[in-house]
Amino acid sequence: MALFGRRRKRTLVVGLDGVPHSLITRLAAAGTMPNVARLVDLGSLARMKVTLPEISAVSWPSFMTGTNPGTHGIYGFVDPKPGSYDIRFPNFRDLGAPTIWDKLGEKKKRSVVLNQPSTYPAREIPGVLVSGFVAISLPKAVYPRRALADLEKLDYRIDIDTARAREDHDYLMEDLAATLESRRRAVDHFWANEDWDYFQVVVTGTDRLMHYIWSAIDDPSHAYHDATLDYYRSVDTFIGDLYDRFTRESGRAEPGEGFFMLSDHGFCGIEQEVRVNRWLVENGFLSFETDAPRSIEEIAPNAKAFAVAPARIFLNRRGRFPKGRVDDASARAIMDEVEAGLSELTHEGRPVIEHVFERDEVYSGPRIDGAPDLVPVGHHGFDLKDTVREAEVFGRTNLTGMHTWDDAFFWSRREQAPDLEITKLADIILEEAV
Amino acid sequence: MAKKGFTLWFTGLSGAGKSTLAERVQDELLERGLNVEILDGDIIRTNLSKGLGFSKEDRDINIRRVGFVCNLLTRNGAVAIAACISPYRKIRRENREMIGRFVEVYCKAPLETLIERDPKGLYKKALAGEIKNFTGISDPYEEPENAEIVVDTGEESIDESVAKIVRTLELMSLVPASESQTEYSEEEEEEIKKRLRDLGYI
Repeated sequence: MALFGRRRKRTLVVGLDGVPHSLITRLAAAGTMPNVARLVDLGSLARMKVTLPEISAVSWPSFMTGTNPGTHGIYGFVDPKPGSYDIRFPNFRDLGAPTIWDKLGEKKKRSVVLNQPSTYPAREIPGVLVSGFVAISLPKAVYPRRALADLEKLDYRIDIDTARAREDHDYLMEDLAATLESRRRAVDHFWANEDWDYFQVVVTGTDRLMHYIWSAIDDPSHAYHDATLDYYRSVDTFIGDLYDRFTRESGRAEPGEGFFMLSDHGFCGIEQEVRVNRWLVENGFLSFETDAPRSIEEIAPNAKAFAVAPARIFLNRRGRFPKGRVDDASARAIMDEVEAGLSELTHEGRPVIEHVFERDEVYSGPRIDGAPDLVPVGHHGFDLKDTVREAEVFGRTNLTGMHTWDDAFFWSRREQAPDLEITKLADIILEEAV
Repeated sequence: MAKKGFTLWFTGLSGAGKSTLAERVQDELLERGLNVEILDGDIIRTNLSKGLGFSKEDRDINIRRVGFVCNLLTRNGAVAIAACISPYRKIRRENREMIGRFVEVYCKAPLETLIERDPKGLYKKALAGEIKNFTGISDPYEEPENAEIVVDTGEESIDESVAKIVRTLELMSLVPASESQTEYSEEEEEEIKKRLRDLGYI
């Protein structure tokens, strides 16, 4: 009898940015995503909640560290600078907790991570890292540097041209296809040429598509309905090819073991944008030193609260902000008033706000000082924004899709506990990866 | 710091760690944005110096060729890393004088240690007389007298040697210090703002 050497045990994680659980299950059931349908039959496609606010800048760090923003320290794409109303842009060097890949490195496991949002500028990891959104310069998005030459030869693209694609949807579809293809080339190259135990790739085109033409997905009369479904078919093929290749090479005893798939938030259609700073102004919580403010920096000293993208509400606290006058004694009452007011907000008879979370309900850890005081979550359809330049609370732009916090997904071979939350995934994956 | 080329010349006996350190230093310098090429002795002898043997004359020709290419790279702003035994002081000095921006790294290790390591099995063959003109056994190695950097590869770890080399290059202002950027530049911020606006995040 032949003796077989122990095969190396590998792990593969596929991220689909923004893909809702409700949509992926529908597309699988309808035959649009047959490879996902295979996975649904094989394992568990669980609905998952994500950390707040429900944006990639926060969700991906929560996934990669297994912690909430109160620990990892990233609360948004932008943050108020300490002691200021001016904003800064948190980057990968601000992450305050080790990542899955760091922990795998401690166990001598090597990772290849491609197109990972919220890892820019790239830093050393035990393996290869190619940053995704908001990466703007490929040389700064790559670790180790030697991988840059490979990516350039592969004509690698970090992202689509978001400005052009927003206005030109023919171009959007072409650019999505070309970018996915460049992602595939990178996967093929690093899969074959790198020494790895853990491989991760994130598709971000799904998020772009849904921001711009969410309305095309369910409307057969929409000009881009067929093209949208074709894109999801190509994503499904990408998933299927990866899964099949992984199955052949995973060194795992059972099909599906070591394979995981997730999204970092869900999506739904926008009915109305809700300008939270405008609401705060109209309800006496916020005022500005000028008539036509361009940013929160023009806030008046008597302002009690303001919002930062997407709609994190900060009390204008004395000692925290330069023009802050709210002290601890009055903070509670102001928070109660804001919560009550937002909870009563309606649009054409429909409640706008699902819930207003207080800081300690959703954040914990050593970086909690950077947290907002309140985090409102809108009902599906109400896209909360912080813009100060609009004169109306409700309005629309040409974007048709918005993020949701309670409709992300996680696929694993094993059934997961109910009420799955994105901060749990790191431990789940590490348990099988190590 | 404006990018200016230089030559980093590793010299030492076979198995002393020249190629290993050259690659690690290359990785570090690439991370700092420099253009770097390695001219490794074993590889050079399969192309640029194919056909040359190990007589003194052939060795001199080989090292002069490597020096010639290093000079081309250096004067065009790249970092040329040579990793060749280069046993003779005279030829190393010739290259130094021709290139100018030249940093010599002596990879030093006791012969006994190298014989024991023998990563390519060459010392065993040389001691058995199967390989003629083998540096350190049947051919001379002239130790550098004034190398800018000496790494004792018999005692130091690879990480320690690499750190010593790179730190010295920083002190000589030949390479920039590593970045510890925590904030974006104004230009980067504008580009990021634009992307965030395109997607409706701000």
